[in-house]
Amino acid sequence: MGRIIGGIGSSHAPSIGTARDKGLQDDPLWAPLFDGYKPARAWLDQVRPDLFLIVYNDHMNRFFFDAYPTFALGVGDVHAQADEGWGKRALPDLPGHPDFAWHLARSLVEDEFDPTICQDMAVDHGVLSFLPLLTDTHWPVPVVPLAVNVIQHPLPTARRLFKLGAALRHAVETYPGDLRVVVMGTGGLSHQLHGGNFGRVNPEWDNRFMDLLETNPAELAALPHRDWMERGGTEGIEMILWLAMRGALAPEVRRLHRNYCAPLLTGYGLLALADQQVA
Amino acid sequence: MNEMVSGAIVFNGERSRQGYRLNRMAMSLTSAENRTRFQTDEVAYMRDAGLHAGEQELVRRRDWKGMLEHGASIYLVIKIAGAVGHSLQQVGAHTAGMTLDEFHARKGH
Repeated sequence: MGRIIGGIGSSHAPSIGTARDKGLQDDPLWAPLFDGYKPARAWLDQVRPDLFLIVYNDHMNRFFFDAYPTFALGVGDVHAQADEGWGKRALPDLPGHPDFAWHLARSLVEDEFDPTICQDMAVDHGVLSFLPLLTDTHWPVPVVPLAVNVIQHPLPTARRLFKLGAALRHAVETYPGDLRVVVMGTGGLSHQLHGGNFGRVNPEWDNRFMDLLETNPAELAALPHRDWMERGGTEGIEMILWLAMRGALAPEVRRLHRNYCAPLLTGYGLLALADQQVA
Repeated sequence: MNEMVSGAIVFNGERSRQGYRLNRMAMSLTSAENRTRFQTDEVAYMRDAGLHAGEQELVRRRDWKGMLEHGASIYLVIKIAGAVGHSLQQVGAHTAGMTLDEFHARKGH
């Protein structure tokens, strides 16, 4: 049977990919971000998971408002890189895991989550900005991406995403093969991309969020969207995606690593948690 | 339509409905071939994309704030901006009613 061995929450942003591609890992502005990923990567290199299950959001690159899915699951053999409007980065396509992904589709629908099932799901910076900081870019670990609408309201609630996490765990634990899975939730943290508060980040809220995610996620799950947007920005609502990662873990977790910095327009957070039910 | 949080737009169904043509045109710019066509002749490209005169005028003026108010998604506005060589920071500052220099001065970088 499959097992979830841990979870990682991470920000995503085009700027992370750009900084990496420009080789700014040691730049004083960017080093606090890149250095922050090293312990999480060391843990992944040590535990060598068989699969990354990544709950993220697309940013009008794969999906458009002609038919906008609330949940969309990538079941293909590979996941291409989406062109976000300024050309593609020099990264190979991501390997998928169709066998697990179709199992996940069946299990989610049985558990009353009904994703749009995508055999052709190009992924954008929601996956590809931070992932090269956690693994080699020849992609030794297959990825199953699950996209969530956090752009066109009405959005799923924070509580819904927390429950989605439990459904992900159920799916992993009923998979017949031996599969060690790390679940990732990615988005945020606080950022406001338009309006009078353009560029505002809220480090106090971002850190409180990571505290609560670890120790009291039920409190976060109860927060209405308006509270998230007032604290973290209308685009910062992406933070609710971390609840799917947390919901997939046991109630008691062990923190492996945490990092935070906010050099520019976005609060960059990283939180790696080990599942306490894993020896 | 006017759902707002702390001076920021909540992108809801009413906005998505009103901004649909503009958003669809912006989405088409995720293709390199379309970007080239747009950059070669913006007016023809926008006309072919079915944009109304007022929508074409918003793009011609690089009125990022106006586009958002018309129902464009920020994630799609920045694709139009990218195609005409404007940065996310330029767009954001404009939507805040500031120049880029004023924004940098406020942020301290």
